[in-house]
Amino acid sequence: MSATVVGIVQIDKELCTGCRRCAEVCPVDAIKGEKGEPQTIDTEKCCYCGQCVQVCSAYASIFDEEIAPREQKIAERGLLDSVKEPLFAAYNIGHNREVKKGLADASLFKMVQCAPAVRVAIAEEFGLKLGSLTPGKMAAALRRLGFDRVYDTNFTADLTIMEEGSELIERVTQNGTLPMFTSCCPAWVKYVEQEYPELIPHLSSCKSPQQMAGALFKTYGAKIDNVEPAKVFSVSVMPCTCKKFECDRPELTDSGFKDVDYVITTRELAQLIKDAGIDFKNLPEEDFDKPLGTYTGAGTIFGVTGGVMEAALRTGYELITKEAIPDVKLDFVRGGEGVRKATVKVGDLDLRVAVVSGLKNVRPLMEQVKAGTADFHFMEVMTCPVGCVSGGGQPKVLLPKLKETAYKNRACSTYTHDDNLPLRKSHDNPDVQKLYDEFLVKPLGHESHHLLHTTYTPRR
Amino acid sequence: MSNKINSFVVADPAKCIGCKVCEVACAVSHTQYGVVTAGTMEDPVIPRLYLVKTPEVTMPVQCRHCEDAPCANSCPVGAISQEKNVIVINETECVGCKTCMIACPFGAIDLVPKYVKGEEITQRVLKSETQDGLVEKAVVYASKCDLCISRPDGPACVENCPEKALEVVKPAVLKKERNRDAALSLLESVKKFIG
Repeated sequence: MSATVVGIVQIDKELCTGCRRCAEVCPVDAIKGEKGEPQTIDTEKCCYCGQCVQVCSAYASIFDEEIAPREQKIAERGLLDSVKEPLFAAYNIGHNREVKKGLADASLFKMVQCAPAVRVAIAEEFGLKLGSLTPGKMAAALRRLGFDRVYDTNFTADLTIMEEGSELIERVTQNGTLPMFTSCCPAWVKYVEQEYPELIPHLSSCKSPQQMAGALFKTYGAKIDNVEPAKVFSVSVMPCTCKKFECDRPELTDSGFKDVDYVITTRELAQLIKDAGIDFKNLPEEDFDKPLGTYTGAGTIFGVTGGVMEAALRTGYELITKEAIPDVKLDFVRGGEGVRKATVKVGDLDLRVAVVSGLKNVRPLMEQVKAGTADFHFMEVMTCPVGCVSGGGQPKVLLPKLKETAYKNRACSTYTHDDNLPLRKSHDNPDVQKLYDEFLVKPLGHESHHLLHTTYTPRR
Repeated sequence: MSNKINSFVVADPAKCIGCKVCEVACAVSHTQYGVVTAGTMEDPVIPRLYLVKTPEVTMPVQCRHCEDAPCANSCPVGAISQEKNVIVINETECVGCKTCMIACPFGAIDLVPKYVKGEEITQRVLKSETQDGLVEKAVVYASKCDLCISRPDGPACVENCPEKALEVVKPAVLKKERNRDAALSLLESVKKFIG
């Protein structure tokens, strides 16, 4: 394991007042300590979801002379020297210093991907309304930062649906391990590995969209631009702190290199844009690059709870019945924190699905799966309360009263984006089709298996 | 002339967990450019109430908006006044002499540097002598709770406390409640005598 893997999320002992609000939101009881005393994080248990980072309000005061100087804290946290925002006790390690170095290296070909939830939140860091939808400005900002290709995780979200949907159909029709669990949320995957290693076979073998994109950047992407894969600098922008952990998994090197070199969060991207002096608010709307930046509405709803399920159903329905789904809007899987179940008539099959939002809510279902009494085929789990839109790497809303508004607006913008996209089903993505024609051949095929699927590590 | 007694915010030490949300909420609601997320907060967090953490008690301390305010009485430049039942400091008139800070029996006043968009504002004339020669001296002014006088929803600390440990005390209302409680309690204790 590299040094960055352990302790991506930390608590600054000098700043922590021991209020334990972080322990309250931690879904895995990884935060230890007495009330009123500085807390510590059990890294074995910690899923790096960063909800503690979001909730923490104990800050470094300019009047406190007994704490280490701000410059030192900025360096310890891996933040850029230009960062002005207050420093809180719970934080995640940043990677902008490394990204800035890579961007300045003329010998590298820089490719970037952005997760669906970043575009509904990043503008908040520039004073725009909570939940403003700005994919175009974000793409423009990334181009001005010096990325040669501005690609999109939404593309591989569509690709995930092709692979994961096919995998589900295969498992349902060929007596495979059921229920199948989604594998996009890295905190959830780590949770399964450490809390329920015996249920690992239930996890879809699909890599997360981030890692699928990483593997494609240094293979297909390098080929398109005729650059040496070794020269591709692969960066991803995520709403999630655990994606930093995921990209460092030693097995995720199927391109022949580390598939994703660095992950920065939404907050870190905003810091990078400010550091470069880019006027985000007044940027023009620009498109993502093709082909690995083309996406459908199904790809974009991965950012909210129930989104992976809804996207999978839009495609799964058509793959099984060979007919167009009557309505792409599958509201019954949408919602907030908690567990939702539904039965969907797919041809002759009554497909039973479960959607879990908030890792705290998953345990009863896991016990059912373990006991063999789970009555569903497919289960989506998102660690964060409203899915990735409320992720640990998203803009931190300072007033607790406004948090709900922020999450509601971000989710609402995600669905608006889906509603307004010309294509809303993953299998309709023309560049995904082209990728299969030119490179991967077919879902679950030899090349897809090599680049897009993975294995997991029991951690107990 | 109004004889209404000034309100003030007070914390319940039994509920306070010392999370400092009150301080953050206070600082955020007193910044001028619509700060909502951490990334938009360019100025340091400078609250107007102060979390006190001792082995015996944890709670924020803030201005009591005294009726015969010692801070106002002691201010040599008349920068402290009462506006609509709130004791306020006129930051531009304040000369940073610290008399109010000493006069306040609660330590509810602090001398703080002035920031605009993340930049510390310095004085026009007065310089400070250091090893590196003369450097510009920061503008510093007296600052304290103003009960979020310009905020329609009232004090931001009260609204955002996750433990609901803070409340606005309205002394006249409180006094009447206490009187009523005393009467009821007296009734309870004399019931056995009066049958």
